[in-house]
Amino acid sequence: MKQNSGRFSRHLTGAGLIVFLSIWGATRVAAQTDFYNTDRGRPVQIEDAYVTERHAFELKLAPVRLERSNGGIYNWGLEPEIAYGILPRTQIEVGLPFAYVELGQRRNAGLAGLDFSIMHNLNVETETLPALGVRADLLAPVGSLAAEHAFASFTGMATRTTQWIRFHVNGQYTAGPGNARPAGGAPRIGGPAAIELSRWLVGGAIDKTYPLSALLITADFYASKPIEAGSRVEYTTGTGFRYQRSPTLALDAGVGRRLNGDNPAWFLTFGTAYAFGIRSLFPFGR
Amino acid sequence: MRSSKEMIRRELSRAIGLFSTLVLAVAAQPSSAAAQWSKAYEQFYMPGDFNWTFRRTYPAADRLFNAFDYGHAILYEKLYTRPGADVSLLEDKEYNFITKKLLVSPPNLPLEEAAIEVAYAKIAPEAKIMFDWAHLFHRQVYDVLADEKLSQAEKDATIARLISYYKTRPDLAFSSSPKSMDLMEGQPYSLAFRNKYPKFNGLIWGYHWLQVGLYEPLMTGKTLEERQAGVTAAVARFRQMLENAPEHMPRIMPMTAAVAPTFAKRYPEAAIIFDNLHSMHDVVSDILANPKVPHDRKRAEILRAAAAYRDRTSYVITPGEWMEMAQMMGLENMGGPAVGILPGWPTPTIARGQSAAEAMKNMAGMSGVSGANPKMAGMKMDSSSAGSAGMAGMDHSKMPETSPSAASPSSAPMNHANMNMAKDSAGKSGSMNMTGMNMDQSAMMQMHMRMMKDPVIRERVMRDTTMRRLMNEMMQSMPADHEMNMSDMTPSGARRSAPSSSAKKDRSRAATSPKSRTTSMTKASTTNKAKSPTAKGTSSAEKKAAAKPAPKPTMPPMDHSKMKMPGMEMPPVKKN
Repeated sequence: MKQNSGRFSRHLTGAGLIVFLSIWGATRVAAQTDFYNTDRGRPVQIEDAYVTERHAFELKLAPVRLERSNGGIYNWGLEPEIAYGILPRTQIEVGLPFAYVELGQRRNAGLAGLDFSIMHNLNVETETLPALGVRADLLAPVGSLAAEHAFASFTGMATRTTQWIRFHVNGQYTAGPGNARPAGGAPRIGGPAAIELSRWLVGGAIDKTYPLSALLITADFYASKPIEAGSRVEYTTGTGFRYQRSPTLALDAGVGRRLNGDNPAWFLTFGTAYAFGIRSLFPFGR
Repeated sequence: MRSSKEMIRRELSRAIGLFSTLVLAVAAQPSSAAAQWSKAYEQFYMPGDFNWTFRRTYPAADRLFNAFDYGHAILYEKLYTRPGADVSLLEDKEYNFITKKLLVSPPNLPLEEAAIEVAYAKIAPEAKIMFDWAHLFHRQVYDVLADEKLSQAEKDATIARLISYYKTRPDLAFSSSPKSMDLMEGQPYSLAFRNKYPKFNGLIWGYHWLQVGLYEPLMTGKTLEERQAGVTAAVARFRQMLENAPEHMPRIMPMTAAVAPTFAKRYPEAAIIFDNLHSMHDVVSDILANPKVPHDRKRAEILRAAAAYRDRTSYVITPGEWMEMAQMMGLENMGGPAVGILPGWPTPTIARGQSAAEAMKNMAGMSGVSGANPKMAGMKMDSSSAGSAGMAGMDHSKMPETSPSAASPSSAPMNHANMNMAKDSAGKSGSMNMTGMNMDQSAMMQMHMRMMKDPVIRERVMRDTTMRRLMNEMMQSMPADHEMNMSDMTPSGARRSAPSSSAKKDRSRAATSPKSRTTSMTKASTTNKAKSPTAKGTSSAEKKAAAKPAPKPTMPPMDHSKMKMPGMEMPPVKKN
């Protein structure tokens, strides 16, 4: 018990250190970000249908996820990402998911893949239509904790806003072998925490915005089928907030629970995001 | 292998089915309107070290702008979603919230307007993003002007780049060609908002006054301290406007060329863009507020107006005419100057709810001219009134040219060398005889009084010892009633020791005679000026006087036929 408590403290200290470093770094980036446009995993899995603005870079320095499974096993995930609004309503993104896993006395840490994605927002929300978006991801087998094979995922997103609440739904399908095992002894393909790989995922989220406080509170619920053949459908729920602290810094944090399946677990997430532009990439910007 | 593929196919179809169901549920909307597919998109602001400088250097003003975002957003939302609501929803409830809470403690960050104007953002996302794009530009110009590290030349170059970048989005950018007032005030839905919601409308114009007005102290201040003092004074004046609303709020849309003339002269393109932006804000308010535009036509009308504000062809006037128009509408009707602010308030020449065209008609001494000139592009004049087309009837083409200025043709001073003062038949004071221009004594006095009613002019005259002496001398030779009025306007140092008995008589007569309403207006104004501008108590007489428009000057029509003034050549208006 005492040992568990000590480990928890160490993990918490580690999380705090990453949070501090990410905020400290953020103040040195002259940029603006937008708490209103949600991203997957920040703080909940289900995201809206909008992309990074044209010509903007969005740097997500420290999307951290700490998961505590039954039995007191801690897993870490950290996925720095950078997105760029390369075309109207279109962003490309590169992510480097790092993972730290505990398997009994064994502890492994490493890169859990290389994630490329392209996302396109089909339309802006109007009176008659929700905003719609699509995204394609490719998780390349790069790193010691990566899966043996590449996986391609296709996601559709829809966002609807009402006077009080916004609704989002996401549906995702992942192509790739179902019998692949992750390298490095990670219990789940693609890393235990950095990337949740599912054969399919369907879910919804609601969020409530407090514009005068630059605060958004959100909650989601989704069903997913782990990619390993024979796995049962899992249900996960989460809640969290996004908060714009200054024009140069937005924070998000959340908590969630995988409710069933082989490995029910609690998880905490934390993230920061900064947007910036590179003048030479701007028209008339030289 | 086969069963594995079969399983994947089954799972895939299940996932698609589930997702489709959810999307349909989210998309469900009780609207009969045809599907609107909008591909408008946002774009990042131009990078630069100057970004957010204004926020750092002038935090109080910057935070006010955040609150302004809310005012616009909630206005559109309520107008669209609560068309039948009582006027008090905006005029009292929202207005009180904004002025008593939000503006007292403004948000620290720019607001996400889509979260406030939810329904409006959905009917016209294209227009919303147009506003957002222009607001970004607006803020970046503040940042550049507030950046103490930039030289004036660097500021000029950076603002030129900002304008170029702004224009890279022709689907969003307001035209940098000035638009006539016809686009804002000559449409079937025009003026609805200002007439129905005078207080909220005054608040919005107060916003616009500050938004363009702040450029002026940033431009004219020579040091950081001067700029900060100027910005602080302008912000303080804006807050004064909120007291006893809408009395001191602008009565027509503040024009950049009038409120921030230094800025407009140096950056006319930017100033025109801002005027078009603010003008379209008013147009959207009118469309949403006017029941003549059916609910299902609001989007179409907003998009139509937006297209007109973007193009370079419809409702276009020349930059010279735009400058001219701004002067003619009257700074005193726009909330007054943004620099050199005096304790008193300028006296508006129009009643609240009137149009810019009416303001131009009321321009001192310019009414009553026959022969409407349709060339005065877009300055739509009501030809039915007083047989006048106001300024339209003026022919300045023969005025002697003086100090031509391409950027500010209207500001070219008149050449008084061609004017001769002559004794009139009574031998008292002179009737002025300009080349081809006859003005009798009373007209001169009207003009003189009008000028002296302007607190800025009055202040300047009082500061200049020579001018003050000349005025004192002139007052000696004035008729009693005019002398009294002038005495009321001038500080004690410039007054004569005691008014004559005839002056007293005339003063009492002036208070009751409708013919002398100008005089009583002046008195009300002067009394008001004597008080602290923040004083809340106002006598009923003052209120009455202030509520009424200033009377049209009784000055006889000027014959400008032989005057020539640069910039007054009026090209034909182009309309789509």
